[in-house]
Amino acid sequence: MAIEEGLMGIVEAAELIRSGKYLSIAGDERVLKQLPTGNWIGGTIPYFMADQGGVVTREQVYVNEIGTFSESPLIRFYGLETLPKLCRNAPENGYSLVIVPGFSDVHSSFARNAPNYDEMYMKPLIGWVAGTHLDDLGKVTPKVVHGQTGQFSDQMAVVMDVPLPKEKYAHIDIVNLFTQGQGDDITFNDTGFSASDCLINGKPANFSEYLTSKGIDTRLPLVADYSGAMVNVSIKDNVSAEKHVDFYAPVFPGTTYRIAAPVGDYIAAFQAALPPMNTTLAFSCNCILNYLYCELDGKRTGKVKGPITFGEIGYQLLNQTLVYLTIEG
Amino acid sequence: MKTTELLQTGLEIDERWQIANASYDAPRRQFDVRITETTGRGGWFSQPKSATSASERHVWRHVNLGTRRCYVHLSVTPGQLPADQPWSGERNMPFTHALSRQIATLLVHGVKLQAICSLLDISLTDLWKLKYNLESGKTRLASMPAASPSPEPNTEVARIAGGGGVPDTADPVWAKLLDGSINIDIRFLNLKLLLTKLREQMRVIDDNEVRMLKVCEIQRYFEQNKLRLKHELLQLASAG
Repeated sequence: MAIEEGLMGIVEAAELIRSGKYLSIAGDERVLKQLPTGNWIGGTIPYFMADQGGVVTREQVYVNEIGTFSESPLIRFYGLETLPKLCRNAPENGYSLVIVPGFSDVHSSFARNAPNYDEMYMKPLIGWVAGTHLDDLGKVTPKVVHGQTGQFSDQMAVVMDVPLPKEKYAHIDIVNLFTQGQGDDITFNDTGFSASDCLINGKPANFSEYLTSKGIDTRLPLVADYSGAMVNVSIKDNVSAEKHVDFYAPVFPGTTYRIAAPVGDYIAAFQAALPPMNTTLAFSCNCILNYLYCELDGKRTGKVKGPITFGEIGYQLLNQTLVYLTIEG
Repeated sequence: MKTTELLQTGLEIDERWQIANASYDAPRRQFDVRITETTGRGGWFSQPKSATSASERHVWRHVNLGTRRCYVHLSVTPGQLPADQPWSGERNMPFTHALSRQIATLLVHGVKLQAICSLLDISLTDLWKLKYNLESGKTRLASMPAASPSPEPNTEVARIAGGGGVPDTADPVWAKLLDGSINIDIRFLNLKLLLTKLREQMRVIDDNEVRMLKVCEIQRYFEQNKLRLKHELLQLASAG
């Protein structure tokens, strides 16, 4: 049976929910509130990569059907206290799909602490950070939805644990067009979404002054090399008056960052970096910053579709990165 | 032998210390043992004298007495915290050295945190605190005297974890992988992230036993995923 995926209207999505299928749904809060209860999790966002290319809509939702086998998925909320159990509670063989409300305490806690969760990296974890229309920033909070109860939350993460039969396994990977540039090595002393002091090639400096004096394009993220995986930390704002820089994900001490090398033609680079054409993606999402900075409105990124998010989760929080899930075996 | 003397022997409290008081709370299934310094012994018939100037107080969870919890309360002269006693602990840490060692042994053997909590009836928060401090190099197992002799961890772990095409934990290839002396091409995102985290931790851990915990962690990942890791395992085989 074909797996349902794509941008659709409320009636079509409601029909899928009523059919009992397990679904992941992204959409504007007003639209999500019109959906019936059922086996789904959701998060607020009105930006999508659809068949027609990048699109913003408050009228439709993006639906991913979650393939199920003999054992049914389990849906639950996680608050600040329970979030560290996320991986431990995940199925021994399967994966977890998590949606975290942007700008919430659970978002911050996950970003800082997820690498140290019990069983982290041992069990596949994919997901995204819910957001809002950029016009609504600061006016409404991003939310996630527990579809079985219909409860919305801007303070808890929602997770769907999906068990797989023993002959199958979940594989999570990323497409990150950014690589470390040829510039300076940058390190920070503390974990944080904001930084003032840093070391530039081992010498103390103020990171805000460094960005300003070098005239660095802050659309380029900081990039760290995690044993071959390029992991970005996107720059939110260089608050030069206060001499600090805010980030969309935390920087970590002991990690060496560099400003990313510029990407020329995003679409061409993206096409070249995509997984092979015969790969069936079970889920994928891309970053709102890629959508904005690379002007993806109306442009397609190959066959990769899904919500355009305020943060991507491939085990840990990522920025300006496409994350995707395949079911292998 | 009096009950206090039995307890003193059982807890391996030497003559420099004494049990000032011990109690059992039946509803809470909990022993509380209060230990103070012995300031010296008197004549043939006198009892050890307690320190009266002690002002630094600590409480640690100790190894269970049977199925009952045991807490050690120590009053000690400031700056005189004993480092060589199994019933003692480190400042602001939840467990005594002996219990910390017991937990570390379970971790080395791959017992999951939740199972350790159930087995020892300890809280996950306290267990995390110990684990975090060990992994960030803030506390060391090497400085923790064991309550009783334990087998050499390397030998024991090697016996348990070996086989299946994945090098066992005693193989030096793991230490080389974790300290960055060898690098391999990795095809899996989670292994890249895990290896990076473990390498960061290894940089600040100078305790060989805690480093062994990290070896066990990466070896367990390979063991669990060995069918998919042929590319990586071949490189380890040639590097070893």
